[in-house]
Amino acid sequence: MSLHLPCPNCGADVVFRSPALPNRVCDYCRSMLVRSDAGVAKVGEVAALPFDVSPVQIGMRGRADDNGFEVIGRVRWAWTDGAWNEWLLLFDDGANAWLGEAMGQFMLLREQPIGKVRTRALREIANGKDARPGTEFQLDQEKMVVADAREVVCVAAEGELPFTARSGWRLYSVDLRGRHGQCATLQRDDQEVTFYKGRYVTLAELAPRGLRAIEGWTLPSYAA
Amino acid sequence: MNNRTFVYGLWCLGVAGLFIMSTVYAWSPFAQGSRARTHGGFYGPTHK
Amino acid sequence: MQPDTAIEPQPAPAARALTCPSCGGSVALRAAGYTVHVACQYCSSILDVTDPQVKLVTAYNQHLAELEIPLGTRGVLRGVEWEAIGYLQRSEDGDYGWEEYLLFNPYHGYRWLVKVRGGWSMGEALTVTPDWLSYDQLVVNGENYTHFFADGEARVDYVLGEFYWRVAVGERVKTADWVRSGVMLSREENASEVSWTRNAWLAPAEMRKAFAIRPEAIWPPLPHQPSPWGAWLRTGAKIGALAFAFLLVFALFFGGTSWTAAGSFPVAADGREQSVTLGPIVLPHRYQSVHLRADVPQLENGWVDLDYSLVERKTQQVYEAYGAAERYSGTDFDGPWSEGSRKAEVSIASVPVGTYDLVVEYKANRWSGASGYAETAGWMDPAAAPVVQVEVRRGAVYGSNLLIALLLLAAPLGLALIWHLAFETARKSESDFAPSGEDDDE
Repeated sequence: MSLHLPCPNCGADVVFRSPALPNRVCDYCRSMLVRSDAGVAKVGEVAALPFDVSPVQIGMRGRADDNGFEVIGRVRWAWTDGAWNEWLLLFDDGANAWLGEAMGQFMLLREQPIGKVRTRALREIANGKDARPGTEFQLDQEKMVVADAREVVCVAAEGELPFTARSGWRLYSVDLRGRHGQCATLQRDDQEVTFYKGRYVTLAELAPRGLRAIEGWTLPSYAA
Repeated sequence: MNNRTFVYGLWCLGVAGLFIMSTVYAWSPFAQGSRARTHGGFYGPTHK
Repeated sequence: MQPDTAIEPQPAPAARALTCPSCGGSVALRAAGYTVHVACQYCSSILDVTDPQVKLVTAYNQHLAELEIPLGTRGVLRGVEWEAIGYLQRSEDGDYGWEEYLLFNPYHGYRWLVKVRGGWSMGEALTVTPDWLSYDQLVVNGENYTHFFADGEARVDYVLGEFYWRVAVGERVKTADWVRSGVMLSREENASEVSWTRNAWLAPAEMRKAFAIRPEAIWPPLPHQPSPWGAWLRTGAKIGALAFAFLLVFALFFGGTSWTAAGSFPVAADGREQSVTLGPIVLPHRYQSVHLRADVPQLENGWVDLDYSLVERKTQQVYEAYGAAERYSGTDFDGPWSEGSRKAEVSIASVPVGTYDLVVEYKANRWSGASGYAETAGWMDPAAAPVVQVEVRRGAVYGSNLLIALLLLAAPLGLALIWHLAFETARKSESDFAPSGEDDDE
């Protein structure tokens, strides 16, 4: 399954583990690489990740929805009032999901085809309308409320990714929250709309192995 | 076990101990009769 | 920084240092990557750290508050180590001020340490929204809460340290609170967002252990402060009930005999003092109580004085008791009446083993105080042959002793209950939703 290739920029060994994830950032020279039938091509450079104290790191393993996963990529996003991480999880069954990490809380989100979303207000937002925080609507029999709607910018990325996360890439992002821990995110730019749906999780319930060690802090008991 | 529970447990033991003692000696503070200080003589009515 | 964190064997550093553009002081960033605003620990100017280039938001050069928990202090609360990284003073427009510390642990995220009137709570942001159960009840994660405060407004008066959002002095949110014992559920609302926080009461001992905080007196109690007697009352009631059950079972094993007739003797018509000796009465136990019951079936408007003496045959030791059977009746404006009893029971405590004679000295009397018509129905009439019948019973356990034991066992529980109710009354009287009966008292 895994495809090992030399980085066209620096020659280091780079791994592509899934055909669904054709993008990756070279661990050594930070080149953004895209894999195709013709081979691997460099499409740009990715900015260095700013220092943070996130407990998650590439290579961390865990379990969610009765399936093991490994953290294989990350995109760091920013907006006017802060920044957050989206970690890409590759599950043992080949599926992938995002672990959003913001304000010390975690969200497990899976991409859903926007074509299947029936909620009219959400389709209007997908088609270019602005969302207003506080707006409520039904989504799959659940009442959801718009928690945030803002322009976000891609700061940096690392590892394997399903898309080309160029630093400076701008998106319009709308966050939705349900009453019982459900959450969803709609992101759009000029070309594309993507929709993610999931729920709040705790790091503990993911039974993480290989958490990032942070100086002066003992690893939590759930990771022992 | 906190202090309070311990102290109350001691109190209960004390009360139970006193009760057991009173039972062993068949004693009651409300018994009308008791051992006479002098025996024999006249046991007249002590009322009215 | 090198980007090869994936294969880096060294632990990542915990803090990042930056320079305050206002005073030049070196500010430690303890939640790098999360923190948005920092209030400089030297001049309390507010800095924006979302960009690598630190921006000054508001320049201050004010007197720094002396914090009970200096920022950077760590403490273990409920099994998790936390570092105090931010500090807020808030109030209801200047009244009822309180303090909030922002706690951080990279593996557990953020918590709040809230100090109100000397009492501490640990707050955690909820990712779920409570559901209404009734007009004043909420339920979340299976816990019910009762409305306590309504229509509050919290204003930020002072900030220090770092925060994961843009802090600003003067910022206001609408607040409301619901409580259950030990937990307060707080709702904060601004123009764009509603957030819920679950605040768990921290006992003074927990705060002393975690952050060496000196306990303070809190009165009236805080809305979610658990009564110091509430939980104990259950434990105490269990212990008390167990002790009493033990005494009951014990008492059952010390049962005595049933009543047996000791003798029947005539009442003289002239009311002279009479004497009769009954027995022998054999007492087998080391100590026992002797119960004597006299029955005078013909007694009417008169009384019988009874002097009992239990005399041990060998030692001549005497145990004595006095009893009287009295019975009066008549008719007045309200109709017929009667009082007293034809039976009289007495007991003698702590009688040792031995063979005893029971000497009964008795004297029958007529009631001369009866005004008008008084029916004596043959009392002290030789034709009716009135008699005194005496019955004897041996026992050990006095019911009164059991009652005294019950009272003694229950007394501490009763005190605890009174203190508990006083505490609960004082606690609830602070509520915006206090029952009307309690409002009248205020």
